[in-house]
Formats: sequence, structure tokens, C-alpha cells
Amino acid sequence: MKILVVDDTEANRKLLAWMLEDDGHEVIEAEDGRQAVTLFAEYAPDLVLMDVMMPVMDGFEATKAIKEQLQGQHVPIIFLTALSDDASLTKCLSIGGDDFLSKPINEQVLQAKIKAHTRIKDLNEQLSRQNIELTRLHQYTLREQEIAKSVFEKALAASIFDSRNTRHYMSPAATFNGDLLLVSISPSGGLYALMADFTGHGLPAAIGALPVSHAFLEAAQQGASVSSIAREVNKTLEKFLPDDMFAAAAIAELNADGTRLTLWLGGLPDALLTDARGALKQRIVSTHMPLGILEDQEFEREPEIIEVARGDRLYLYTDGIPEARNPAGEMYGDQRLLQHFDGGSEDTFGAIIADVTGYSGGSHQQDDITLLELSCMPVQPLPGAAANTPRSAPNLPWTLTMELGIDELRKRVSPVSQIVDMIGMAPGVEPHKDYLHTILAELFANALEHGVLGLDSRLKQTEEGYLAYYREREQRLATLEQGQLGIQVSFRAAGDQGHLTLSLHDSGPGFDWQRPSSAGDDAAFGRGMALIDILCDKVTYSAGGTRVDAEYSLRD
Amino acid sequence: MPVESTLSNSGNTVTIGISGQFDFEIVQEFRAAYSDHKNADYIIDMRATEHMDSSALGMLLNMRKSLGDKTRISIINCRPQIKKILTISRFDKKFEIE
Repeated sequence: MKILVVDDTEANRKLLAWMLEDDGHEVIEAEDGRQAVTLFAEYAPDLVLMDVMMPVMDGFEATKAIKEQLQGQHVPIIFLTALSDDASLTKCLSIGGDDFLSKPINEQVLQAKIKAHTRIKDLNEQLSRQNIELTRLHQYTLREQEIAKSVFEKALAASIFDSRNTRHYMSPAATFNGDLLLVSISPSGGLYALMADFTGHGLPAAIGALPVSHAFLEAAQQGASVSSIAREVNKTLEKFLPDDMFAAAAIAELNADGTRLTLWLGGLPDALLTDARGALKQRIVSTHMPLGILEDQEFEREPEIIEVARGDRLYLYTDGIPEARNPAGEMYGDQRLLQHFDGGSEDTFGAIIADVTGYSGGSHQQDDITLLELSCMPVQPLPGAAANTPRSAPNLPWTLTMELGIDELRKRVSPVSQIVDMIGMAPGVEPHKDYLHTILAELFANALEHGVLGLDSRLKQTEEGYLAYYREREQRLATLEQGQLGIQVSFRAAGDQGHLTLSLHDSGPGFDWQRPSSAGDDAAFGRGMALIDILCDKVTYSAGGTRVDAEYSLRD
Repeated sequence: MPVESTLSNSGNTVTIGISGQFDFEIVQEFRAAYSDHKNADYIIDMRATEHMDSSALGMLLNMRKSLGDKTRISIINCRPQIKKILTISRFDKKFEIE
């Protein structure tokens, strides 16, 4: 160890140096306080033995100056003093000294003190190393959390929105929210909502949000039913989460007209349905286990289906609301919550949030809180949902031809979807794909069944006959020896508008297109031609019923 | 499964969901979906139905005939083009269409 010995008496210095060097220490000597300060800066010793009374600068002054140099770093300074009054000893320690030794110096006491101070110094160094490490780790964690938070927010931001139908409130207890709320519009114009409360809170709870939102949004886009969504999300959670983690959840769907609610509830508090005035109509109790527990084959997906009146409102919330605590540690409870559902509140949603926030009175929020209000009225389409069809002027003429021979016909593969997908890529056709699919499917069925196969649709008059018809169709197709069916789709532009001509011709004997096509509203057959007539501008049969040309305009 | 039927919690509503193409390919499955429960209300959920053709219209009418005029059959969540097919075929006379 490197030790700085400060004493104006050379004999004292030499004696100390001799004792210390004997113990294997390296000694630096200073004759007074000023020299001590200079040498300290130069040699950075591990310990200082400091005389008090010295010329030029005394031990007190030198100690102050050295401690200033150290800036909180710990190097023990032990005073060597002949003074024995309490006041002087106290002063030694109060100006920053760490200990004192009485003169004359006893070698054993000196050794013991050096040992003790070495231990303290080591501990101090360890502490400050750990401190630096901790600070670094803390900053690292903060940075990681920031990144993760931004990923979460971006991944989930698009899926929560307020519209005429929904209002939501979310208040996480920690940086990360263990509650999840997703809202999406279905292809049939309805609205889906998913609320999930993962076990625990903070980052581990929030991690489940990513796979869940992915599964939910994908299912919603396909227009899946509430029970299918519940099943999909359950499967996803079962797969991704450890066994002790799961999510209490509610999945709701409001149909496009706003007249029917379909609800799957697993492990969340009772959902509350009110009338337009805000008076409680129905409590919907959770009848299922939370998501992510049961395996797919045991999963129960039966939903509740509730007919609702215009203006009815559904409230979904996580247990953060009834379990919110006031500063005295008491819970908010169901009764307080239900008081807002007596029909006397003008704004139930706002009143609940204000009441719960007021109740907690600034005490530390224990759990994530989420509340959703779903108003039952026709679902408002997403802004901009219809506005993204490109409006390029479709004006170059084109034709697509497909000839099906006996081999293709016998494969029983309908060419309709393929043709529609191909022509759907032409400018201006995409929004019409679904109608074109219907028209082509009818035209194709007519040409194949009545043309090539020569089937008579009057067979379909009874339910049994209906099945017989399609059995016969199968059989004739399987034994077909010759036949051809051609499909041609042409596009031409007239002014701003595009026109398609769908032409089909077949190798059959022709059929009587002039026969009354339908035997009334109840008939289970003969509807196809009527459908084509209505969807198309003009339908022409020719060549003895072996050829049909249907005109369709690509109107906006 | 293109045809999926679910019995509600209360046991008196059968929901038949049809995904993808609603046409003669599923004639057997569709018939099986309403043959098991005779005294129930029916909901035909078309949310995942992409297309339907005239053979599907026939299948719906057969269902109506088989269950009788008193059974409640609603057709829900139709995409616009399917709703149009049902409307122009005047199916609103026989079914509750949303």
C-alpha cells in the first residue's frame, strides 16, 4: 500500500517510515501541509498519516484541501496527535479526518488501524463500483423500456380509436399496460372490440398484447365470428404464454345495423348493458375461463347473443375499476360502480372515471384500469376506408379468353375465381369483383349444367330433387366424353366509363332460354338467369342457346 | 370447415356460419347443419361468406321449406354484394335480413 506520512519532525517521519516499510508498505514523506497536498496529487496514495501542528500549513488545512481534491472518493486520513483534549479530537474528525492516533505511536495500534481503514476503503471502492454499474444498468433498462414502449404503442395505436360507437379510457399502473383494448371494423360493416387483462402488470403482462392483437386483427379482417375470434386468440395465447400467464377477456361484436351484440366473456367483471338513459338493463356474467388456459379441444366458445335497442350502451371494464383502492386501502367495489347505472347520470362514462380517480385520491394505482363504452347504433365506417380506391382512367381495350376442353371440364374446377382475379387487376375493375364473380358463376353454371351436361333444372323442384340434381351433375361430369366451354371477357371504354362483355359459348345442344325462368318466389330453381338479368345491363342469348353475351358497366 | 354451426348458451338459437363460397359444393353440410335441431331459432351468419350463387338461394329456400314458415331464420352480417343478391331475389319475404 502507498502511504503518505506528513510530519514536520524528521525523526517522527523516519520512525513511521521504518515501521511501515517493515510491513511492506511504500512510504512518501511530506514536511508540512502544503507539501502534503502537492505530493498527494502527484502520488495518489492509498492512506495518509497526518500530523496536526506544522509550519506553513497545518494538518487541518491540508486535510480540507486533500478531501476537496478527492471529490467524494475515499482515501482515509488518520491524524497523528499529541493533543488529548476532546475538542481537538472532535475537530480532527469534523473537518474530514477519518481517525486519529495518539503520539507516541504504538506500532501494533498503527498496524491495526491501517488494516481497519484498508477494509473500509475496499468496501467503499466496491460500493462505488457497484453504484456505477447499477447506474449504467438502470439507464440501459430505461432505454430498453423506451424502445419496447414505442414498439408497443406503434403496434397497437392503430387498433384503438374512438368513433360514434366507442369511447375508451385506459390508465396503466406501470410503464407498460397489462390491459389491452382493440377495436376493429368487420368486412360486413360491424364493429369488433377486444378487451384483455393479462395476469400481472408491467412488461411481462404487456408482452402478450402483441400476439393477441395480431390474431385478433387478422380474424377481424376475415370477418370471423366472435366465437372463432375467441378460439383463435385462445390458441395463440396457449401457444405463446407460459402456463401461469393468461388473460381475462371480453370479445364483443356489434352488427352493422347496431341491433345485435354478440359477446364472449371469460374472467372479466360483469359487462353492463344500459338503455339510452343509462339505466341498467342487463348484467352479463362471464361464463367462460380466461383465454390461454384451456387447450383448443376443451375450449368453450359459445357466445351470448343480445338483441339491443338503438341507443343502448354496453360497458366493459377490467377489475382495476372495482378493485381500485383509496388511501385507507379500501376497495371501490361493485356497489359504488352500479350507482352510476341508475339512469340518473347524463354521462355515465365520464362519471365513472371521475369517481374512480377521485376515490383513489392520488394513492398509488395498483392495477391497470380500462373502460370501454360501446353505443348501439349503426356502425360508423372508418374515415377514409372507402376513399382508397385509385381513380385512374381505364381506357385501353383488352380481351381475356379461356377455352376449356374435356380434360379441364372433368377436373371439376371452376374457372370463375381465377378469371375474376385476373380481370380484377385491370384498372377500374377491383370494386366490381364481387358482382362479376356472381355473374360469371351463374353464366358458367348455366353453360356447364344446361349446355354441356344437358341437365334440366326442373329436377330441383323438391328438396330431394335438389340433391338428386347435383348428384346427377357429378355423375354426368364424371362420364363426360366430349365437351367444350369458352369464356371471353372484353373491356372497352366509352367516355369516362368502362364496359365489360362476358361471353360464354358451349358445345351443348342449346337450351330454351325463353322458358319462364322462375316458377315463383318459392321455387328453389331458376333464379340464376333472373339474377344475371338484374346485375347486367343487357343479356343476349344466341346460336340456339349455346352462346350468351352479358354487358356490364363499371359504374362507380 | 365451410359450414360451422354453434348452439347458443341458452340452447335455443343455432348459428350457422358459412365461410368462403356458398354454393352447391356445400349442399350436404348445409342441410346437415339445420337437420339436427328442429325447435330452434336460426341465424345464418354470412360474415365470412365471400360469394353466393343461385344454388345457395335454392338451398336457403329448401331450408325454409324443411323447417316450416313459423321458424325464425335470420340472415346476418352480409357483405353488400350478397345483401344485394338476397334483396333482388326478394328473400326478405322469407327471411329476416339485416
